[in-house]
Amino acid sequence: MIVSHNELVAAVNKAFLGMRRTCGEADVIANMVADLQMVGLDGVRHFNNASNFMGLEDDCPVDITTTEDNSIEVDLHGSSLACHLPVIMDFAIEKMVGSKALKIELHNCHNRWLAYSELVKLAAKGIACTAQWENGSDPKQTLYVLNRGCVAPELFFCDSALETTEHVHNMTIELSVNDFDLKRLSQGYKRHITSSSLAETQEKAWRDGIEVDDMEWSSLKETATAILVENSQRSIQGAGELTTTAA
Amino acid sequence: MDAHRSIYTETTLRNAETVMAPDRLGAMHQTRISFVRTLIRKMAQQNWQVTKHDWQLCPQGYGHVIYKLVTPSHEYHLVVFCDQIADDERNDRVIAEKWDVTFALVLGDVDVALLEQLRANVPLQEAGRNPNNVLVLARANKSVRVFEHIVDHLAKGQQPSPQELAEVGYILRTTAVYGNGKFGIADFKVLENNPDFNQSFSAQMCAVYMLREFSLDWVHYLAEQHGGERATTLHRGLQRYLGVGNATGLGMAPYLINHPSIVDQWMTTRENALAAVLACEADAQKTEYLRTLIEKGILHLQQVITINELQKELNAIAVHDLKLLLAKLESLVMQQEDSLEFATWQSVVDKSQHLSLEAQEILTSCLMELYPELVDAYQDQMNCDETLSLPSGKKVQDLLVTLEENYRWAINTDFNKPENNYWFWYRSQDKEEPRLGVRGEEPGEERELPLDVGRQAFRLYHALLEDKPETSLAEFLVQRPQFRAIARRVWTLGHKAMGDIQMNVLHQSSLPMHLLRCKLAVFGATKFDPRSERWVRVTFFQGSPLLDEIHEEEWLFPLLPNQSELSGVEQNDNHQHGGTC
Repeated sequence: MIVSHNELVAAVNKAFLGMRRTCGEADVIANMVADLQMVGLDGVRHFNNASNFMGLEDDCPVDITTTEDNSIEVDLHGSSLACHLPVIMDFAIEKMVGSKALKIELHNCHNRWLAYSELVKLAAKGIACTAQWENGSDPKQTLYVLNRGCVAPELFFCDSALETTEHVHNMTIELSVNDFDLKRLSQGYKRHITSSSLAETQEKAWRDGIEVDDMEWSSLKETATAILVENSQRSIQGAGELTTTAA
Repeated sequence: MDAHRSIYTETTLRNAETVMAPDRLGAMHQTRISFVRTLIRKMAQQNWQVTKHDWQLCPQGYGHVIYKLVTPSHEYHLVVFCDQIADDERNDRVIAEKWDVTFALVLGDVDVALLEQLRANVPLQEAGRNPNNVLVLARANKSVRVFEHIVDHLAKGQQPSPQELAEVGYILRTTAVYGNGKFGIADFKVLENNPDFNQSFSAQMCAVYMLREFSLDWVHYLAEQHGGERATTLHRGLQRYLGVGNATGLGMAPYLINHPSIVDQWMTTRENALAAVLACEADAQKTEYLRTLIEKGILHLQQVITINELQKELNAIAVHDLKLLLAKLESLVMQQEDSLEFATWQSVVDKSQHLSLEAQEILTSCLMELYPELVDAYQDQMNCDETLSLPSGKKVQDLLVTLEENYRWAINTDFNKPENNYWFWYRSQDKEEPRLGVRGEEPGEERELPLDVGRQAFRLYHALLEDKPETSLAEFLVQRPQFRAIARRVWTLGHKAMGDIQMNVLHQSSLPMHLLRCKLAVFGATKFDPRSERWVRVTFFQGSPLLDEIHEEEWLFPLLPNQSELSGVEQNDNHQHGGTC
């Protein structure tokens, strides 16, 4: 079905608020989902997957270790990236001051696709970035490259079997003040979604509305009802009494 | 253009503590940069044309009607559906499911297929789905008493009783006017490059203005159906006096809390415009015009009929205070009692601080009317970027300073006291209607909406105090990520001119009405008639020019035409029948 941006953002916002999590910001997560959905990368599906597990995940701060001058390691304790990435990126950008590059190793995290929106914001700040992760199901390997000033990343996929599943809950993000060499980094990847096609999809979504799978939308709307309170006679009064008929 | 003498080279804004105080927000009035005023000027300046495109009502007045709007850039259509509903189905709350009138403003043409799609969905409102060339989706109910009174009289060739109209001030009352992507319609972003409606809420205001025209056409049509040749048309003075009513409830309050940058922008723009005026030196001509406007304001307040005792009292006090102000106006505009030198308007305002807030805000609105060339320059500065962000490199101390300088109202509140946490806000399963519950007494507290900005700022402040002042804010938030949302808000709003509304909405005596009034005044509402602490009825476009006479002149306070005006030559101007321009 076709939904508007405002509807999508509002639904995710309510759905996340309904989860009553300490970590994570509803408005930020709503934009993560909307931004991903608008470029045709199934933001709603990723959020629905996330919301199936969020209630079971630890709801605690991440642990960050600065391993070298230009590298940090983050343990997300098996929780969703959506709930923690903004805090991590704020920290990382501060650590990057005075150096030209920084590597962020994220461990024990889920829903890595939802990093899309936060990473796109970096380009506007003059920071280029790459993100790489492995997955148990296809695509097995994903590479995201966004150079400075670009509005959308270049995405590369590879479905070849992994040698080990050791890293399927990790993600590596590299930040740099210089652009990355796309050609070199993308060697070995079989599929490519271009930045321009993502941008076109996004433009179409603004123009014609955002396409969302019916089932995924129903599921999101259902999750969004968790914040609603049962109706009662006293509750009806809670909206304020009103003369309802002819004036 | 004459150059206004200004004492100051830089304008000074009133401080946020004054402007964003809930009581003052709750006393606001329309100004000339309120959205309805800006819209009417734009329509007049650009010669927007509205015509009755299709009129498909049965003799009882049910069916559909389409109006066509042509601007220099685009064509639009307002599609109106009129349905028969029972009196007990007529409900102003969001939980209603049927309305007398439902309507949609559409960008571009309406062909048969689209009309049928709209017919199947617009009357359902929230329960329908609409395509994204619909810009506005809305509904309205009749004031049955006024509707029937007007139709009956016009059908007999008589004019209705002005007093009967004065009590209500409209024929139709909107109960929700949706824009910005609601229920599948176009996002506001789509209008970003549309010169007609690129200012927020302008499409909604335009749809309501066109509905006003429909309401007049509708009663004229029915009067003719009932009375045939005997029927007459409503006196044009009375037509002008009838606007569109609006019933607004608690649902508007969360908007103001959830869109703090927008509220700041609205208020800052108004303050900038006001400051430009206050820096000018008074003169005899402007003083005379100010007197006329204040007199109009007084008469308007005297004519406002409200069931709300507090509002009645506030209006009466404002009338009293404004009369006192008028009595001293000639001396107030002088630098000193016996001086021959005019003072600035700032000085006049400074000397009016003892007046009630309602009176002060009426003075503000009147002063802004004196300098259209200064004030109107601000009308297109109502939009803003809503991003709430934290810059890099800030320390705990930096945020503490921001809180201490801009959130005193929050950090000085003891949120451990029950009265400061009395209410909780939630959404009901009943069409997601926002409601208030008493904490500890009513169910739903665990699903409380995070509208408690004051309490969150208070908690952030105390958490920051536990850390070292030189700790980086980014490190603090890694340890305490639950504060990032409020930290972003406090930082962003704390560095804006007006910032957050300074109201603890959880407090036992907090009045959501103040929030509703603020937004409605920015829209340009008049005739504030609170129905409870959480519901208010107002009018839009009451006193505004009719479509066929649209102009840029002032129409600040709607006034009932007096007897001599009603017996004047404008009466029964039959060419108006049909509502085209």
